[in-house]
Parts: sequence; C-alpha cells; structure tokens
Amino acid sequence: MSDDAETSHAALGDRIAGAVLALLALGAWWHAQSFVTGFMQPVGPGVFPQLVSVPLGLLAVYLIARPGLNQRWPDAAALCRQLGVLLLLGTYAAFLEPCGFIPSTLVATVVLMRLFGAHWRQALPYGLLLGLALYALFEFALGIPLPDMPGLKV
Amino acid sequence: MPSKVFMTPRRLMAPALLGLGLAVSLPSQALPIDECIAPADPGGGWDFTCRSVGKLLRDLELVEGNVQVTNMPGGVGAVAFSNVAGKRADDSNLMVATSTVGMTQIAQGRYPGDADTMRWLAMLGTDVGVILVDDDSPYESLDQLLEAIVDDPTAVAMAGSSGAGGWDHIRALRLAKAAGLPGDQISALRWVQFDGGGPAVTQMMGGHVDAVSTDLGEIAGFIESGDVRPLAVLSDEPLPEPFEELPTAVSQGYDVTGYNWRGFYTGGEVSDADYAAMVETLEALYQSDEWKEVAAQNGLVPLWRGGEDFNDFVRESIDNVEAISREIGVIQ
Amino acid sequence: MDIFDFLVHGFAVALQPQHLLLALIGCTIGTLIGALPGLGPVNGVALLIPLAFNFGLAPTAALILLVSVYYGCMYGGRISSIVLNIPGDEPAMMTTLDGFPMARAGRGGEALGLSAVASFVGATVATIGLTLFAPLLVTVAIRFGPAEYFALFVLAFATIGGVTTGSFTKSFIAASLGLLLGTVGIDPVSGVARYTFGWYELYDGIDYIVALVGLFAVSECLLFLERDRDKADAAMRIGSAVPGMRRSLDCAPTIGRGSVIGFISGVLPGAGASLGSFLSYVLEKRWWGAKGKFGEGDPRGVAAPEAGNNAAAGGALIPMLSLGIPGSGTTAILLALLLSMNITPGPLLFEQQPDMVWGLVAALFIGNVMLLVLNIPLVGFFAKVLQAPSWFLMPMVTLVAFVGIYSLNNSAFDLYMMLAFGVLGYGLRKLEIPTVPVVLGLLLGGQMEFNLRRAMSISGGDWSILVNSGISIGIYLFAGTLLLAGLMYALLLKRRLG
Repeated sequence: MSDDAETSHAALGDRIAGAVLALLALGAWWHAQSFVTGFMQPVGPGVFPQLVSVPLGLLAVYLIARPGLNQRWPDAAALCRQLGVLLLLGTYAAFLEPCGFIPSTLVATVVLMRLFGAHWRQALPYGLLLGLALYALFEFALGIPLPDMPGLKV
Repeated sequence: MPSKVFMTPRRLMAPALLGLGLAVSLPSQALPIDECIAPADPGGGWDFTCRSVGKLLRDLELVEGNVQVTNMPGGVGAVAFSNVAGKRADDSNLMVATSTVGMTQIAQGRYPGDADTMRWLAMLGTDVGVILVDDDSPYESLDQLLEAIVDDPTAVAMAGSSGAGGWDHIRALRLAKAAGLPGDQISALRWVQFDGGGPAVTQMMGGHVDAVSTDLGEIAGFIESGDVRPLAVLSDEPLPEPFEELPTAVSQGYDVTGYNWRGFYTGGEVSDADYAAMVETLEALYQSDEWKEVAAQNGLVPLWRGGEDFNDFVRESIDNVEAISREIGVIQ
Repeated sequence: MDIFDFLVHGFAVALQPQHLLLALIGCTIGTLIGALPGLGPVNGVALLIPLAFNFGLAPTAALILLVSVYYGCMYGGRISSIVLNIPGDEPAMMTTLDGFPMARAGRGGEALGLSAVASFVGATVATIGLTLFAPLLVTVAIRFGPAEYFALFVLAFATIGGVTTGSFTKSFIAASLGLLLGTVGIDPVSGVARYTFGWYELYDGIDYIVALVGLFAVSECLLFLERDRDKADAAMRIGSAVPGMRRSLDCAPTIGRGSVIGFISGVLPGAGASLGSFLSYVLEKRWWGAKGKFGEGDPRGVAAPEAGNNAAAGGALIPMLSLGIPGSGTTAILLALLLSMNITPGPLLFEQQPDMVWGLVAALFIGNVMLLVLNIPLVGFFAKVLQAPSWFLMPMVTLVAFVGIYSLNNSAFDLYMMLAFGVLGYGLRKLEIPTVPVVLGLLLGGQMEFNLRRAMSISGGDWSILVNSGISIGIYLFAGTLLLAGLMYALLLKRRLG
C-alpha cells in the first residue's frame, strides 16, 4: 500500500492467490465440520468458521475470474536477499534459546547488516554495538530476562 | 472469565518471567514465591486471588520483593495449566490461582492432564454462589424464578461466567432440579456465557438475560449499590457481614449449596522441600489478620486447607463434580 | 462536592510540580518504548509498576506516572506508524495508511504534529464527555446486548472496503482471512481446539501483536530489500512539527467528527480504541469521497483516526470505571493498574472514591498536554534517528521487533509465527491486498463470534434475535447504506478510469 507505485495487470499472481485462498476456505469449511458442538449450545464451535469461509471462498473464486492489479515482483537478486534475511532470522530464532542471547544476536546483527548492504568494516563494529545495546535495553532497562549462554551462571 | 476475547495483555507476563532465569540455573535452592499466574483476564476471581495474595505476601514480607501477577487467559485455565505442565513443572517460584471452576474443568476432562499433573498447595478461602435478578425483575423470590423455569424451561435466559456445563451453570441446574425440573428438560434451559460475573450482571441490567448465577465476590459491588436483587446464596449457613441478610437457598427449601474455593497449585515436579516451604508461606499468610480483612471485603469466607490435606480434598472435589456432571448430563 | 469540584480538585493535584515532573518522565520513557515496534504500553507500564512501588510514590503520583507512560506509549506507536510504516500498537495501525505516505513526501513532521494535536483534542473531548455524561452513557451502553454488539461488528466489516484505495474484493478477502485466522485456538465456549493441528502453542490463538509486527515490520523489511538503496536512503526527511500543528486548524471538523465517533465506540465495552480509530477513518473517508486523497497522504487521514483512538481510549474509561469491564486490551492494562493499587472499579467507584476517579481523569489530561509539548523536541530526535543509514536502521528495527516479540512469551514459536506473518504480509502487499483488515479480523473476530453465540443462546437458537431491537436494525441499515455507497463509489471510479 505504500510502495513503488509500479503496478501492472498481473493476472497470474491474483489467480494463484485466489486458488490458494479458495482451497484454504474449502479446507477450513470442511475441517470445521469435525468440531463437536458441546453440551447445550445452540451454535457450536464450527458455525462461525464456516460462516466466514463462505465469503472467503466466494471472493477468492471471484478473484480468479476477475484478477486485479499486482505490484511488480522482485528480481532474482532481491529475492535472494529476501530469502537470505528470512533464513537468517529463522536460524536466529532456532539458536536463540540453545546458544543464549548474546552470541546468537551478535552473529545475527552482523550478518543482517551485511544483507542490508553494509561493508564488513561497517557491519562488524556496528553489529556488535547493536547486539550489545539490544541486550542492555531488554535485560537491564526493560527488565526482561533473555536466554543466557549455556554454562554461564547468572 | 476465560478467553482471548478481550485481547488481553498476554504481554503482562513478559517481565513476570524475571525469576525464571534464576530458577532454572539454581534448581536446588528454595526461593520465595515471586510469580502468580492468574489464568484469566484482569478483573475476575482468579485475577483477584493472585493480586490480593501477591500483594499481601509482599506487605507481610513473607517473600522478598514483588510477586508478579501474570494474566494468562484461555480455555478456563487450560492454557495456563498446559503451559505450567509443559514448561515450568519444576519452577518453585511459581503458583497458579485456581478454584472449584478449575476442578470442574478437570472433572470434565477439559484440561490437558488430571489432578496428578500438578502439586496442590492450599486453599485460603471460599466464595459462595449467588442467584441474582435485576432490581426491577418480575421475580421477587427464588420460588417465583424456579417456578417459572419448571413451568417453561425456555422462558428464562440465565447467564454466568462459566460455559455451559461449567460451575456457574451446574449450580443453576441443580437448583432447577431441586425445584422439580425433569431431567429430560434440563437441556431446554437457556444458558449464556459471559467473560465474567461483572459482564453477566451488566447484561442482565440491560435486560438481555433474566437471571445470573455466579460467585458473590465478583459482583458484591452490584448488590451493595442496589442494582440487582439477590434471590439466594448457596451456602449452608447465612453469610457473615455485610451479607448476613441474604437468604440461603437451603432456608427457602432447596437443598443446594455451591461454594467456589480459591487456592493455588504449582508444577508437578517441584521438590517436596520447596512444596512444603510454599505451603508454609501460604499458611503464614492465611493466619494473618490482613488476609481475614481482605477476604471479608470481597465476600470470601476464610478457610484453610493446605499440603496433603488439600491434595486429598482436590481429588475428592473432582470426583464429586464428576458425579454431579454425570447426573446432570454434561458428561456421559 | 459535585463532579466539577472533584475535577478541579483533581487538576489542582495533578498540576503540582512533582506530578508534572513525573508526567514528563513518564511521557518521555513511554514515547521511546512505544516507538519500538513490538513493545507497547504493557511493557512500559509493567516496567514502571515496581519502580513506582519501590520509590514509595503516593497512589496519585504513581497513577500519574503510569498513565503518562501509557499515553506516551500510545503516542510513540504513532511515531513508528508514520515514519517507518510499522504501527507500534494496534490502534496506531490506521495511522500508517496516510501517515507513512505523508512521511515519504517529506511531511513526516507535519503528520506527527497533526497527530499530536488530534490526539489531544480527542482526549479532551473524551474527558468532557466523561465528566458530563458518564452516568447517562452507562445506561445507554448496557442497552447493547449480544445481538447489538454483533450488529456493530457487522458494521465494522461492512465498511472495511473503505479502508484502502485498492479493490473492494481484496479488502473483503483480507477481512475474511483475518476472521478465519481469529478462530484458531481453543474455543472458550466448548473447549474444542480449532485449527491447532495438535500444536500446544496455538491453543491460546494467534497473538495479534505477533501478527501485527509480522505483517507490518517484517514485510516492510522484506520490501525494503528490493528498493533502490541510494534512493531509499535519501528519501526520508521529517521536517518540523509546527506546520502540522497549524494544519490541525484546517482539519478541525475532521478532528471533531473523529473524536465523537471514537468516544461513542469507546463507551461500548468490547469495541475499544481499535474500532474507534477504524470507524473514524473509514467514515471520514466516506465523508469526503472523491474529494479526499485518502491513502496517498491526506492529512485528514491522520487526524481522523488519531482523534478517534484517543477519544475511544477516554470513552472506554466509562465502562471500565463504572462497571469494572475492560473494553479493550489497553483499558485492561489500566484496570490491572488500578487493581494493583487496591482500587476496585465497579458501580460504586464514582460514589465511594470520586477523588480517585477524577484524579485519574486529570492525570490522563495532563499526560496529553505533556505529549503535545514534548512533541516538538521529540520530532527532532526521531528525525535524527532516521538519518542513520538504512543498513543500520532496518536491522535495528527488525531486531528490536524480534526480541520484543520473543519477550512476550519467551517462545521461539512466536518468532516463527511472526516470520510466517511477515511472508504473508509481503505476499499480500505485492498482491495489493490490504493487511489492515487482516489484523482487524483477528482483533475483532473473537468478540464478533462470541456475541453471535451468546445471542443465539439467549434466543435458544432462533436467528431472528439478531434483528429484534431498534438498535440492531438501525446499525444494519447504516451498514447497508455505507456498503451500498461504497460499491457505487467504486463502480463510479472504475467507469471514470475507463
């Protein structure tokens, strides 16, 4: 809604999205049938999801039939950077608890800055700085405990 | 009482986890209670239990520092139950508020686990069920209300803070049965669940439901202000001041009582020594005059059961509620 | 003493130098916390509650400090909405729609100044409304039963097509998707686990903060990676807040309308600030029709939701104080705050503790004045922060959001969830499907469903209860009119574009 205003009639994107959403609606509707209505409830837990999946499904089918505008999709290089960032953040999330906050965050900040186009000599010092600043902000200023490095006593 | 309906601050718990890091690294040392999970939104009975007890523990210097109250609503306590069972079973700094409402959920198999999953610390007092109508309702007495229900079970919409089959509902149904409503018509009675006793009473004042069955403590303010007409309290004996005037159901010829005790549990893997220390801390709190005062202000009758005694009592309550649920038809 | 004496007394207390200093500290800390994505009023208030106890502050002083933090956070939330397109909290979501386009056009300072004035006016209107009409409004609010609430949510979703400039179909798709996602988790009525697929982490449903940060912050970060770096670095200029304050004179009618709509939605418990800011925005957009440039940086698109959300926050105090019902996530925090100070809101609070009630009102008011004043230096500060190169700024924002989300539940699952919502948000934005209705669906869907089910419990399964009262019928007629007007407008626009 904010971005590069370059939009185009990209029927394909909308049609794929429409198909995915229509399947989702169908799946949700079907799955909602298995929700057991409890003791003395005129409207069970499955009714509302079914009620919602009907317009979702219908509108998704309409989207397949009458696709609208899409923004330009990214080129290969940008896509690689995006995947890189997602991969990095996912890995960071996985290592946050087992490795502790400080080591995993320091690696994440430095690599993230690299992915956002910093040189190593920018990314290294500022990445370390940012990582430590985050630790100080959450652990001390906000009083939110973060996972410690294994083997370290508090 | 439960649910994510009110977009509650799950984030309140974040700072509450302050003690967790310490507890994990030093599991052998008994640390004072520093967190109380209220498995509901702010404002309800469990939230009150945590807040008042937490504050008293601090004021009486039974613990060092603050007792952080964490609101963890969802599934009438099921979310907090599974969270503690899964992640914090050995956290001896943590206690979780519970009550007869929680026992009802366990008895009906709605928690991911049974009584053995947790260690039951103590109960500190008990709330008592109450049946209310609006101050300009046509029903002047419990007799009139129950007569109308027996006449035509669909004529009266009752509300409370528990779901259909929950504790508030069970108490109302037992009254209807005592008044002679045949078992096969029980499911015709209308029951509406709200997010707490307060919202239920408010909706009754707006004329959307006809009567409310809930705990006295949660809605005592509405009785004092005269906005509602209490028809019966579900205790054996009349209550102490300031509710001594309220008629019991027993005195009106319906042999139904329905208490809702307030207590705490902790994780199932807390060591015997830590468990004993926590029970001892709570007993010291119970003995104080301050607790008696806070309890009285909020319509609770102070009542102590702790340690193994409480453990047995919990199992007994669960069996009891299970039998009632079966009798009424909530569970088959 | 009558109400006005209490209010005057409340102000006299709040205006003491020590209290003003506390308000200043609270507002500053709050603004900084609120501006960090993922961190909101809950963190701010939770941080300062122990502090207030440890300093042994008197109840009034503690209340002023905490209320200032609360308001500061709300204001900080708008700052990140406007300058980063990342709402700090959910009521600030609507402000991204026109605030961020303004910032991209170099009018960020103007938007910030305007939002401060609009917030101030909204809060003032709410304070006046609270003072004059609280007892009356309570009697009106309780006329809203489950069926009427359901109608109100239908109204909200019927107008959702007006949120963005994009296609009608896509807005409704986004709303239905949000509503569907809102049903994930254990159903509190029956205890049935819906769409959880055995994951315990989903039992409590999808946390809307996780969704919000994912949809806005993570997707913004992904979009940023494909922009031209040099252009992006040079793009932002904040400017000064002063023209925005002047601009607010032009927007006075907008602010007035937004305040009234917001206040009314605030008074209804369960509707809350998000609905207030949403309805203010949508109705204002309808009001101007083709004459407005909503979605492209129309100052009125900032003024309306800001006035609405603050008026709603003030209005929500009425059911919270007089009935003990927290109408929204943010009033729930205030309720917890009052409870922690041994003040139990309920029908007797106005009679038994009037000094406390009006002291709170005065504190809220002082907090707003303080924010208005603070705004000028703060805009300069945030302008400085934004001049940091993007390779530093974007990782910083991303990681603050990351750690903030982690700290909610100490759960890595929330982080994966946030990344998933980030990818979803990215995809939706590429497809020109607005993300705001998704969050609204997630936020309001639960209440919508439970009020429907309550209504059906009352009627014993008879659907006609939904149209059984004048209030419901009125709301449906209004919703129908708006929906029709929106459709006509969309058709007209299409024809004109050829």
